[in-house]
Amino acid sequence: MTDVMKDYFLDLDKAARDPKRKVAWCTSVGPAEILRAMGFEVFFPENHGAMLGATRVCMDTIPVANANGYSPEICSYLTSDVGAYMKGITPLTKAYGIESVPHPDVLVYNTNQCKDVMHWFEYYAKEFNTPIFGIHPPTNLPSIKQEYIDDVAQQFKDLIAFLEPIMGHAMDPEKLKETVALSLEATNLWSDVLNMAQTTPSPLTFFDGTIYMGPIVVLRGTQIAVDYYKNLLAELQEKVANNHAAVMGEHKRIYWDGMPVWGRLRNLSNIFKENNACVVASTYCNSWVFSDFDPNDPLPSMALAYIKIFINRNDQFKEAYIEKMVKDFNVDGVVFMAARTCPNNSNAYYNLPRRLKDKNIPTIIIDGDLCDLRCYSDEQSATLIEAFLETI
Amino acid sequence: MSKKKDDIIFWGVDCGSSEIKVVALDQAGNILLKRKQKTLFPLQDHVRHALSGDGDDLSPFITPESTEIKQGHKIIATGYGRKYINFATENLTEIKAHFMGVEKQLDLGDRYSIIDIGGQDSKIIAVDHNKVDQFIINRKCAAGTGAYIEELGHRLEVPLSDMTALAQNNDKELSLNSFCTVFSGQEVIKVLMNGERVENIIYALYSSVVKRVMEMTAITTDIVAFSGGVLEFHPKLVQMFTEKLREANPNIKTMLAPNAQYCGAIGAALFGMTAT
Repeated sequence: MTDVMKDYFLDLDKAARDPKRKVAWCTSVGPAEILRAMGFEVFFPENHGAMLGATRVCMDTIPVANANGYSPEICSYLTSDVGAYMKGITPLTKAYGIESVPHPDVLVYNTNQCKDVMHWFEYYAKEFNTPIFGIHPPTNLPSIKQEYIDDVAQQFKDLIAFLEPIMGHAMDPEKLKETVALSLEATNLWSDVLNMAQTTPSPLTFFDGTIYMGPIVVLRGTQIAVDYYKNLLAELQEKVANNHAAVMGEHKRIYWDGMPVWGRLRNLSNIFKENNACVVASTYCNSWVFSDFDPNDPLPSMALAYIKIFINRNDQFKEAYIEKMVKDFNVDGVVFMAARTCPNNSNAYYNLPRRLKDKNIPTIIIDGDLCDLRCYSDEQSATLIEAFLETI
Repeated sequence: MSKKKDDIIFWGVDCGSSEIKVVALDQAGNILLKRKQKTLFPLQDHVRHALSGDGDDLSPFITPESTEIKQGHKIIATGYGRKYINFATENLTEIKAHFMGVEKQLDLGDRYSIIDIGGQDSKIIAVDHNKVDQFIINRKCAAGTGAYIEELGHRLEVPLSDMTALAQNNDKELSLNSFCTVFSGQEVIKVLMNGERVENIIYALYSSVVKRVMEMTAITTDIVAFSGGVLEFHPKLVQMFTEKLREANPNIKTMLAPNAQYCGAIGAALFGMTAT
């Protein structure tokens, strides 16, 4: 895993220095396959935001963005990342000896997850004087209509037309099919990996998943991601065969909704472990399962896959989705992490926890954030989680 | 006090943000002793002191200076500091501890709610079939907790012990609106500058605590028990909670738990018994 991510970042760094290669920045659930098929090396600022969160470097960079006009109430991936840029630092330096994030030749975002990514990428478009393209799909969908798919597929076509002069060549349809096929294979393997947690005891936890997910975010559409998940799946299958438990004495099985608290992964993981509880599934890790990709119909299938994601759906869909996950993973209770700076990916605000409770699914809400630890209390979260585990 | 040979004494320690509360229970659940002291640091030393007392013959420690526990004594910790007490044999959250402490001391039937207000948090616990069914703790701010009352009391230079008497003499129902203790302090300064009577401000402060707690969740039971030091030492607050609860449910029955400040410690000691 370490090598996969290291090689990815070192190659990106090389690409940024090579005038013959071009770098695209893309949102994490954006059309990476189109960019890869065109020949771009792809960098994902949200992944950088997560690194800033996990290393807690963000606590030095968020205030810089705040002091420069970016509110503490908006996406803390954005404020972590923009603050890091303003401060001239990156966790890539300590991790891989890379001086800075790769400068972009083009910026592509998709508002299927939120509008903050648009503001975020627009900052860099101005800062680097770089061309920018946004995909704007319909949002908060109760169901997926053909007109939505047609709309987004057309936006993808427009994106390709936008990218071709930047790259200096036309899109090769065969290359696009090949890239989508690799993405599909990786995403299906990722789904298989996550579903290994349906076994009791589970061989992996949500916290493991937040580390394992690196390649499906940054390397989908490549053989590297496929190979990585084949190996990981085989490892987990072996663990299941040996009855290996990720949490010794697994007694309770928990579902995690919302973002990880990146700077507190170990701490939170330990709270659950000490209480013999395994967080077996999450909305977050499953957000990179795109089973609708179809290499024979790349653009419409990508349109479908990228608009039907959980975060882009209405509350009724989300409720039914979590109910199904609770059943499939034999879950005893659901933890909702209400992220102060990410309302779009926090599902505790419109009474969903109580509706699930009415269906005899125990729920608890913890307040926190993906990066900004000013919005998180270790003691209060520990008490809430432990008390929740005592009651279920 | 002495104990018979082979008896076990269960010590509950509620390590709160303001005070360390200690109780000792015998095997029948009778309270042998209760004492408290301010929460100071190093925490472990002060908890040890709270447990051993000042020359009292009932102490769980072999000597007042040691952390070695006598045979037949068991220490169970709860509260925010529960994980930092190395000599506690077990620990549990204050949610479960307060529930057990209230459940033991009051006959409330199988469905009731507990409102507990502590130094830095306030909780509502819904009990169903004599088990904790749901609970909620105040979110990040201090409004609605003992710290809020203490901070504003300090600003007004009113001792906590005088507050109830003052609030009973209000002649106006003022409101403090902010979630934030600091901003509430600003509201207080503003009304003071306008010459407002301190009695009305204390009433507004209590009223604000009631609102901050009641907006945490809807109470759906017909019985509500109060626990925690804040409610034990601010009787007017209990009265105001009761009035507010009756607005929504005229038949609601409310009561202050005996030893309200010690409910967490009592619950911890009882937990030790169930785990034995």
